[in-house]
Amino acid sequence: MSPLAEHIVLRDLDIENIADFDVYLQHGGYEAFRTAVTERTPADIVQMVKDSGLRGRGGAGFPTGVKWGFLPKGVYPRYLLCNCDESEPGTFNNHQIIDRNPHQLIEGIAISAYAIEANLAYIYIRGEFAAAARRLERAIAQAYARGFLGRNIFGKGYDLDIYVHRGAGAYICGEETALMESLEGKIGQPRLRPPFPAVSGLYGKPTIINNVETLTNVPMIVRHGAAWYRRFGTEKSPGTKVFSVSGHVKRPGNYEAPLGIPLRELIFSPDYCQGMRSNRNVKIIVPGGASAGWLTADDLDVTLDYEALAAKGSMLGSGGVIVLDESVSAVEVAYKMDEFFKHESCGKCTPCREGTYFLVKVLHRIMHGHGRREDIPLLHDVYNQMAGNCFCLLGESAVVPIRSALRLFPHEFEQAIAQAGNGHRKAHAVSVR
Amino acid sequence: MPNVTLVIDGQTVTVPAGTNIVDAARIAGIAIPVFCYHPKLKPVGMCRMCLVEVWTPKIDPATRQAVIGEDGRPVMTLMMGKLQPGCVTSVSDGMEVRTTTDRVRFAQKGQLEFLLTSHPLDCPVCDKGGECPLQNLTMQFGPSTSRFDYADKIHFEKPIRLGDLIYLDRERCILCSRCVRFQDDIAGDPVLGFDNRGRTWEIISKSDPPFDSKFSGNTTDICPVGALTTADFRFKARVWELRPTPSICPHCPVGCNISLDMRYDRLMRVMPRENDYVNEIWICDKGRFGMRFIESPERLRQPLIRKGDTLTPATWDEAIALIAEKLIAIRTHAGAAALGGLASPDLPNEDLYLFQKLFRQVLRSPNLDFCTGAPGEPAIIDLGATLGVGKGTNLSNLGAGTSVLVVGADPEEEAPLYVLRLRGIAARGGDLTIINPYPTKLDRTPARVIRPRAGAEAFVALALLKTLIEEELIAADFVTRRVQGFDELKMRLRNHSVASLCDAAGAPEDVVRSAAYAFAKADNGIIIYGRVALASGADLIDALADLALLTGHVGRPNNGVIPLIPGANARGALDMGVHPGAGKKRGLTAREMWAAAREGRLRGMIIAGMDPVRDNPAAAEALDALEFLVVQDIFLTETAQHADVVLPTASIAGREGTLTNAERRVQRFRQARIPEFNTPAGWDVAQRIARALIALGVKPTAPDGQGDGRGASRTLAKTAATTASSDQWDYAVAGDVADEIAATVHGYADTTYESLGLTRKPQWGRQPNEAIFYDGTSYENTEGVGVQIAAEADNPKATFTLRARVPPLFATNDAYPYTLLAAPRAYDGRAWSRDSKLLPRMVTPHLILNADDATALGIAPGGLVQIASEVGCAVLPAQIDRNLPRGLALMPDVDGAPLSRVQTGPLTRIAIMAHISETVGTR
Ligand SMILES: Cc1cc2nc3c(=O)[nH]c(=O)nc-3n(C[C@H](O)[C@H](O)[C@H](O)COP(=O)(O)O)c2cc1C
Ligand code: SF4
Ligand code: SF4
Ligand code: SF4
Ligand code: FES
Repeated sequence: MSPLAEHIVLRDLDIENIADFDVYLQHGGYEAFRTAVTERTPADIVQMVKDSGLRGRGGAGFPTGVKWGFLPKGVYPRYLLCNCDESEPGTFNNHQIIDRNPHQLIEGIAISAYAIEANLAYIYIRGEFAAAARRLERAIAQAYARGFLGRNIFGKGYDLDIYVHRGAGAYICGEETALMESLEGKIGQPRLRPPFPAVSGLYGKPTIINNVETLTNVPMIVRHGAAWYRRFGTEKSPGTKVFSVSGHVKRPGNYEAPLGIPLRELIFSPDYCQGMRSNRNVKIIVPGGASAGWLTADDLDVTLDYEALAAKGSMLGSGGVIVLDESVSAVEVAYKMDEFFKHESCGKCTPCREGTYFLVKVLHRIMHGHGRREDIPLLHDVYNQMAGNCFCLLGESAVVPIRSALRLFPHEFEQAIAQAGNGHRKAHAVSVR
Repeated sequence: MPNVTLVIDGQTVTVPAGTNIVDAARIAGIAIPVFCYHPKLKPVGMCRMCLVEVWTPKIDPATRQAVIGEDGRPVMTLMMGKLQPGCVTSVSDGMEVRTTTDRVRFAQKGQLEFLLTSHPLDCPVCDKGGECPLQNLTMQFGPSTSRFDYADKIHFEKPIRLGDLIYLDRERCILCSRCVRFQDDIAGDPVLGFDNRGRTWEIISKSDPPFDSKFSGNTTDICPVGALTTADFRFKARVWELRPTPSICPHCPVGCNISLDMRYDRLMRVMPRENDYVNEIWICDKGRFGMRFIESPERLRQPLIRKGDTLTPATWDEAIALIAEKLIAIRTHAGAAALGGLASPDLPNEDLYLFQKLFRQVLRSPNLDFCTGAPGEPAIIDLGATLGVGKGTNLSNLGAGTSVLVVGADPEEEAPLYVLRLRGIAARGGDLTIINPYPTKLDRTPARVIRPRAGAEAFVALALLKTLIEEELIAADFVTRRVQGFDELKMRLRNHSVASLCDAAGAPEDVVRSAAYAFAKADNGIIIYGRVALASGADLIDALADLALLTGHVGRPNNGVIPLIPGANARGALDMGVHPGAGKKRGLTAREMWAAAREGRLRGMIIAGMDPVRDNPAAAEALDALEFLVVQDIFLTETAQHADVVLPTASIAGREGTLTNAERRVQRFRQARIPEFNTPAGWDVAQRIARALIALGVKPTAPDGQGDGRGASRTLAKTAATTASSDQWDYAVAGDVADEIAATVHGYADTTYESLGLTRKPQWGRQPNEAIFYDGTSYENTEGVGVQIAAEADNPKATFTLRARVPPLFATNDAYPYTLLAAPRAYDGRAWSRDSKLLPRMVTPHLILNADDATALGIAPGGLVQIASEVGCAVLPAQIDRNLPRGLALMPDVDGAPLSRVQTGPLTRIAIMAHISETVGTR
């Protein structure tokens, strides 16, 4: 698959200084928004996005236009939320967008807000992205100054305000309902669903939440049309995706590629990652952030689209592709990832709060040579006690690394345990306090 | 609501649509284990203990019909392909729920294993042990061994204090959020919250002082583990050693059902007993922590007789003989009218009944009152006997369709449980209007708040009446049949517009109109009035009566008036006739008795359970002018120190009896096994005196004949005084007195001990023996939910006359520009608070001022203010409240408050100035 002649999202790679307001305007910036507001009805835009087949880039891949269509008729105010919490391990494309191409995101938010008839949009941005948040605010101020935001936009009576809200550093606040709780000033924990946000979201009002990358696609779809967008990607996964590739590849980074690109090409093509560092063999590929099921070298021919990865028991997720070579231990990778989930568990539900803690304790002792023979069935039990039982997907995600590791590399666990004094309890004494 | 039929574990169940699976199973007698779910709280689905298999018929997307399998039955699919939390999943037709499959058992066991991984397993020293859902569910569903290394357990500092009353053990907390949700949703004191996340997620108190809520103890009941324990019960006993004694809280007119949990002869803890009609499953902290006084070492044990300046111990025989001799002497030389009796409205019916019988029939004096006669004490104007809520009223069922007016009341301070009850009504969609001259915590409930000028509350009620008339919102049919004087009322109001009345009250007209509209249109209408309404006076209360009458909101269940008259049994005091207006011959009021005593017209008194001197030092002078004073109490009160004879009595824990609550529910309490130093119950004291008098030749009269219908109530129901019969003074047990009350007191016919013992079945939301999975540790009610007695209006033939009239406006003047109002406080520091863990929360005397007034006067928070009225002055610390209306000053009615020094009546004009000589630190 040949690389993109022109980028749709990472246009900063094609146009120097597109983060500069004037440069953005010179390249047709805000024309799509102007067309939308002055020539199209909100319903037209929703239909166009539906036709484009754009799917949410935040993880679940839900068709964006369909989601917008879920808003109950006639209920206002409505809110648009832009999810820029980007905390999924291995994912860093949102950051590049807000850093290098912020105006396209803001225009995307403006068009989308117009489409869903919202007059207020919030960008919920990961707390650590402090500098980027300031840049976004500056970009928003520029848009206000030009009358692209604020009252009576393009003289058509449409009002829109955009606010940037910084989180306080919790992965769970990327989950849409926890994000809303956090935005409302409460502790960031997911809400019970239903009701779904489209019906009752922020402050109990109909709310649409989309990822940064999703929204950044919108101006280009409106400018060039749905049919044009569908020229990229596959039938069911149209368009492009920004893959954040990290790990033991020669050239890690963000690559925007058409959906459906083979994994092998992304890793080995000179256009992309240029192969493995030190030419070691691929051992583990986590294709969609830490929540995605693991692939191995055997899976290199899978194409990177929603369907193909789901068929492999994994997922496209956020597009954070973590590539690890033989030098790593599967036990350690599982530990690291579950340590992350343990650290980020909000604590609301029992299986995630306690299960991640349990998993990490057992993995830790195996890793440090104190594993016990009964630890392998124990690990299976623990994740099975979690799987399907958690309140939200964070807990379910925590099952993924350990289940993948045990499925794909059982011998590494057995070995680690065997080395720990024939599987018997050692040094690690049990003290009763 | 339409019904839904489903199958749970093979059993077919039909329940209302919208029921969740846990409740539906409960109805079928199947207990799905839960932790975070509680039937009184909104389900949150957090703990994942209630996971079950939910199978629903497969629907063909094309035809939208159920797919039928080869066996001719609908093909079922597992909802979402995984287990579902039953507490947040609603039932649907054709659903099949399986709660005992291997998959469910694995999940249940798994969640319990998880919960136990961070649990300290210190059951042997945990107060919850023995009644702990975590223990119980672990036994039933959990693993028998732990696979989690003990050394890996997370540790927190052992209990931290969430305030004076509640300890939190974070290691034991299973993070179910029941406590937080109780505080937020039920109590309306959102003082608890969560901090941090993951395994270090923890409960914190967000208020200063910490856990500042009058309902905090309830969280320890519904906490499914021993994470929350009370300072009062911590490490006191194992729960299986306790012997629960059913009792009634003696602290306010709600009459919460409680249990005195005794170990041998010591009170270990006070727990709520479920009574849907009264307190659901809750009690307030005053009820829970305010019972330590019964075990106080200062309790009186022996009669005392005055020898010169000192009160010296005597035997009962000596004391009673002396009393009989002195009372006869006074009656002989000064007449029966020279004798008077005051009895506390906290005393049980049996005591009050015999007290008035002693006076009316044996001593033949009508001078009886349950008031203290302090200068600021409002007259008791009762609508309960006439227009009280109809028999069968149950506030816990009310919601949409109900409108409640809360007038001149601060329920949190006067009758705390009503806050929960009213919040419940609002939460279920009921309509609430609060009419009070100053803000109270009830204002936090979704409600219409009308803030009249103090003393002008009647004008709001009149504006409501005028709106009813103007907008033709009258219940015409009811008015035609049962109400007189409508035309006259219209005449009296003809020169007043809604606007002018609202203006006089200082209330917004649109809000008043909407309140009138909501109240008139509601299916059920209830009016609650309290202390400030009494202070406002008869004009207001007459208008409230007319509001209830014109809207037809009387004489039916869930309709009528609830007066919050101070005292746990003021209702009983009125019904038993401990009131000067109750008999044929009008007696002296308390206030009149003080005057009469000073003038030598009143020579002898018996004061039972009341301490008028404490709040009104001027009463001492009157008491000292008496020839003979008997005080009967459980403590040597200030009043008792002026007595010639002091008689000790049993506390509520040491005897049996009945109390009548604000909704006229007569409830029985039992005797706990507590050493009461052989002190008799109050009724027995009266009996001993009566017998001694009769033995000395006093002849009791026949019953008093018909009452004149005047007095406290507008048309006071016939009371004990009017129908009393037996002149036998032969009562062996409280039940004998209760039987006589049932036989003679108007309306009490159904209140035999037997009928008082009936429990309503099924009790709210509860299945036999499964209660612990749902409800926490409040007790089931196995000892009777009481009997509500009818109000006059319940009789369909009773008619009523409208009386509202436009009164003159209370006004301040230039010399005394502020209005002083006594504000009731639950934590008033009076005798009940002895030895209580609540002591640090007792309110000390102070004056509450508006912030701008304070600034204008140069008064800083905590600074001393001097107040002066036409009769006296006082100095006390100031507290600034920016929400208090200007021109109003509140003095909490607490122990030591110098109210009686400055008050000229319930409303007093005062001047305020900064007290310059010194300041005290901020409070
Ligand atoms: C634990 C968790 C973390 C998430 N974090 C993010 C995130 O950082 N950014 C994001 O866009 N979506 C995140 N999501 C997905 C959001 O819930 C939501 O599906 C998404 O924002 C919808 O936008 P989209 O339809 O444009 O993908 C997260 C979901 C979960 C369960
Ligand atoms: S799975 Fe449960 S504990 Fe974990 S993040 Fe979600 S709600 Fe919180
Ligand atoms: S303290 Fe008790 S009620 Fe509160 S969250 Fe913890 S376990 Fe639940
Ligand atoms: S509300 Fe009243 S009766 Fe109930 S516990 Fe509190 S003080 Fe006692
Ligand atoms: S999740 Fe249903 S009881 Fe806790």
